[in-house]
Amino acid sequence: MNSIRAPKFDYIIIGAGPAGMAAAITARAHGLSVLVLDEQPSAGGQIFRNIESLEATRNSEFSKLGQEYEFGSSLVRRFKKCGADYFTDRSVWQIDNNLQIHHVSASASKSNSVISHCQAKRLLIAVGAMERPMPLPGWTIPGVMPCTAVDVLYKSSGLIPDGEVVLAGSGPLLLLIGCRLLDVGVHVSAFLDTSMNGALLKALPLLPNALRSHKYLTRGLSLLWKIRKAGIPFYSGIQNIEALGTSKLEKVRIGKSGKFFDVTADLLLLHNGVVPNVQITRNLGCEHRWYDVQRYWEPIVDDWGNTSVDHVSIAGDCGRVAGAAISEVSGHLAALETVYQLGVISKVERDNLSQPHRIELARQKHVRPFLDKLFQPSKTWLVPENDKTLACRCEEVKVSEIRETVRMGIKDPDSLKSMTRCGMGYCQARMCGLTVSEIIAEEKKVSPEEIGYFRVRSPIRPITLGQLAEIE
Amino acid sequence: MIKENAEVVVVGGGVIGVSLAYGMVKKGAKVILIDKVDNRLTASRGNFGLVWFQGKGKGMPRYVEWCIEAIERWPEFAENLETETGFNLNYEKTGGLEICLGEEEHQERVNFIEEMSQASRSGRYDCEMISRKELQGMLPKIKLGKEVSGASFCSHDGCVNPLILLKAMNSSFQQKGGSYRPEQSVQKIECSSNDFKIETGTHSFNAEKLVIACGLMTTKLARMVGMKVSVIPERGQILVTERTSRVFNYPTAGIRQNYDGSFMLGSSHEAVGYNIETSYEVLQNIAKRAIRILPSLKNLQLIRSWAALRVLTPDQKPVYLESDQYPGAHAITSHSGVSLASIHSSILVEWILEERIPLGFTAFHPKRFNVQEAI
Amino acid sequence: MFKKQYESHETVSIIFEGKNLDVEIGQTVASALLVGGDMVFRSSVVSGQPRAPYCMMGVCFECLIEIDGIPNQLACMIPVREAMKIKRQQKNKE
Repeated sequence: MNSIRAPKFDYIIIGAGPAGMAAAITARAHGLSVLVLDEQPSAGGQIFRNIESLEATRNSEFSKLGQEYEFGSSLVRRFKKCGADYFTDRSVWQIDNNLQIHHVSASASKSNSVISHCQAKRLLIAVGAMERPMPLPGWTIPGVMPCTAVDVLYKSSGLIPDGEVVLAGSGPLLLLIGCRLLDVGVHVSAFLDTSMNGALLKALPLLPNALRSHKYLTRGLSLLWKIRKAGIPFYSGIQNIEALGTSKLEKVRIGKSGKFFDVTADLLLLHNGVVPNVQITRNLGCEHRWYDVQRYWEPIVDDWGNTSVDHVSIAGDCGRVAGAAISEVSGHLAALETVYQLGVISKVERDNLSQPHRIELARQKHVRPFLDKLFQPSKTWLVPENDKTLACRCEEVKVSEIRETVRMGIKDPDSLKSMTRCGMGYCQARMCGLTVSEIIAEEKKVSPEEIGYFRVRSPIRPITLGQLAEIE
Repeated sequence: MIKENAEVVVVGGGVIGVSLAYGMVKKGAKVILIDKVDNRLTASRGNFGLVWFQGKGKGMPRYVEWCIEAIERWPEFAENLETETGFNLNYEKTGGLEICLGEEEHQERVNFIEEMSQASRSGRYDCEMISRKELQGMLPKIKLGKEVSGASFCSHDGCVNPLILLKAMNSSFQQKGGSYRPEQSVQKIECSSNDFKIETGTHSFNAEKLVIACGLMTTKLARMVGMKVSVIPERGQILVTERTSRVFNYPTAGIRQNYDGSFMLGSSHEAVGYNIETSYEVLQNIAKRAIRILPSLKNLQLIRSWAALRVLTPDQKPVYLESDQYPGAHAITSHSGVSLASIHSSILVEWILEERIPLGFTAFHPKRFNVQEAI
Repeated sequence: MFKKQYESHETVSIIFEGKNLDVEIGQTVASALLVGGDMVFRSSVVSGQPRAPYCMMGVCFECLIEIDGIPNQLACMIPVREAMKIKRQQKNKE
């Protein structure tokens, strides 16, 4: 089998966000050979996207982002100096049982000068989280985007929306990004709060008391204050949202308490929480459990991030979503475990070295359960009531078609996939996986936990046949 | 325990089980179809969708004839299903190709056709060699790789969407009053003088006749009713690309362009037991061969791949068996469940329901294997 | 649809649908085209409906576009390069 050249490393890390970088730093500090593969052109993950360039060339904006970003910047610097082999623009498309990893550039037209295979003794998955898909009628119309998309555009390219923006959804990230948009003068024509029973408003008075690390939410508070001050229409208890327009978004139709009205919009920004990106852990066959409060699957791990698959661990938001600070800590812990497993330190040394990280974890950890409970996604936005909504964007499979197929007696997601093509498109069910499980669960009146999820096969992301055949 | 009665219980929700159940309800029988829904083992959801004749049946002329008969019934079979369900099966009978790379493959194919012609009763085998030039002439929209030496062409061959086929037969089966019982796994079968009691964890089904068509599990269940049927798994891996404009209008056993424009590439034949992992080397080999045949495929994005297990009898030809010990119990296993769906849902159904034994049927009896099957 | 908040530093020249565009180095193809005001990158392979970039982080695969003659490239993950030729894709165009 091994006629291909596959450089060997003690530790291969997929993802150069806070978790991956922290793990690399710790592993290197103990002398392991480390390879970091990341899809993005620069280190930092999602939260610290393009941070090096921001600091260097757009410093005034960088300093407005807050102290968290100073920490992020320092982390990136330490990562760059730690001596790990680090390759950008590498998308992993297959991981063999023996942890041989196959990766390619995102660009098929680029000739593959980098050797596209490597061999790990231990593997860390640190690929982070993604937006929970928020299917609604018209969500495929150009001009509808998840709110983090504008965050990406802002950080990596300095772009801000031009035109009327409607924000819709629920969750701390929406508040944060909304805040930032208002700060740079973007025209927000409405804020549609879809949080359950107006949870946000009810909970605001309680927030400062409940939390030691309250930076997130005081920002959120300031957004609501900003919105009120600017006279931006704020609607909570929304039951329906529909995006309307022919070749691009023109308006958003809102349904509240049985009444419907339209708001003109050029951009509709959605957010319904953040979920772990489980594509790789699923592909590897790791066991997952259903986290009902936030309605997503997370890999089952021990205190060190070890999954149910030997030599494979995770760190960061591709497990229980907890934010950058905890991601970083979990990266250090996962690396210490690897250093121990590879025989470089003893168990006692591992435990001792982990102490400061455990303390930090304890310090940070109480915030998240509160936020998770506060911003529980509501049923309305998990299973679209409007049957003509596309559950699967790539293959254009409507919610109605999925329901009909379930009524034919099909309960298992993969069987449903065979029957409807849902999940067979380019995104490989990243955008419809959770929705499908929720719809089947609702039809069958059980928890999505009983329904399960699509089987995730190789290629983990699309590659060309030429890339697979390794011809120039 | 939920109790249900029927004339026939069919165990197995794959293409064979469903085609039998479908054919039976069309004849007015009361049928229950039990489906374990075990994704790990299903050939029915992992196949190439060929409705195929060429290449099959070497060493068993009766099977060759059976295949032709099945293919001749296919157009009407497909049309009926489409009318009954409104689903489009995308059945295309364009004729099919086996493309050869290099001189050795070409000669092998020539020899094969010759052997099959000699073995057939008519002295003819409906498959002819075509030259590289003729082949390129049949494919004006795509260039052949320089190693392509020619191909064999068979006008009987075609392809279908196997997933929609499965869905359509199941749907029509239920529409015509068939009872579909998914997520049920047979635990026990009790045989009395005039009926069978089939128990799953939650249900007890009573029927006069029993049909076991559950792929790789056929051995285990057939044994419960006094039949020895041995099958082994053989892994095949398949790649599917993104959609592109239609340029390749004939199916081959290793490359076909689906109705929606995506290319399907295969396949492999691996004895790896019950392993449905895909492997880098095999996928790469499939891609390499496809590019050698059609170089312009190299820029197509591969989106999905999978491995599934074929269900093979010792000589890879069908076994159709009624239990001597418990008449009324039948075991049916075959490769090519898709190609044979038309004949399974008609002639085999007549055998099961009306005891009408087709001509030369003993050819399909497992006693042809001659050795004591070790189970 | 999107505007740049600051002046570009270094730029490269790319060709989109036959016309020249000066875009800042370090941008992805997706963000570069969004500045130009062009949201629609392709038409859906199923129905032909217009599609635009969605997640901007390589998850949704909506931003597929033809780059240097090769279709279905993930624009939000590919940095711009001098003389890159970019074209929209119609349904099932080779």
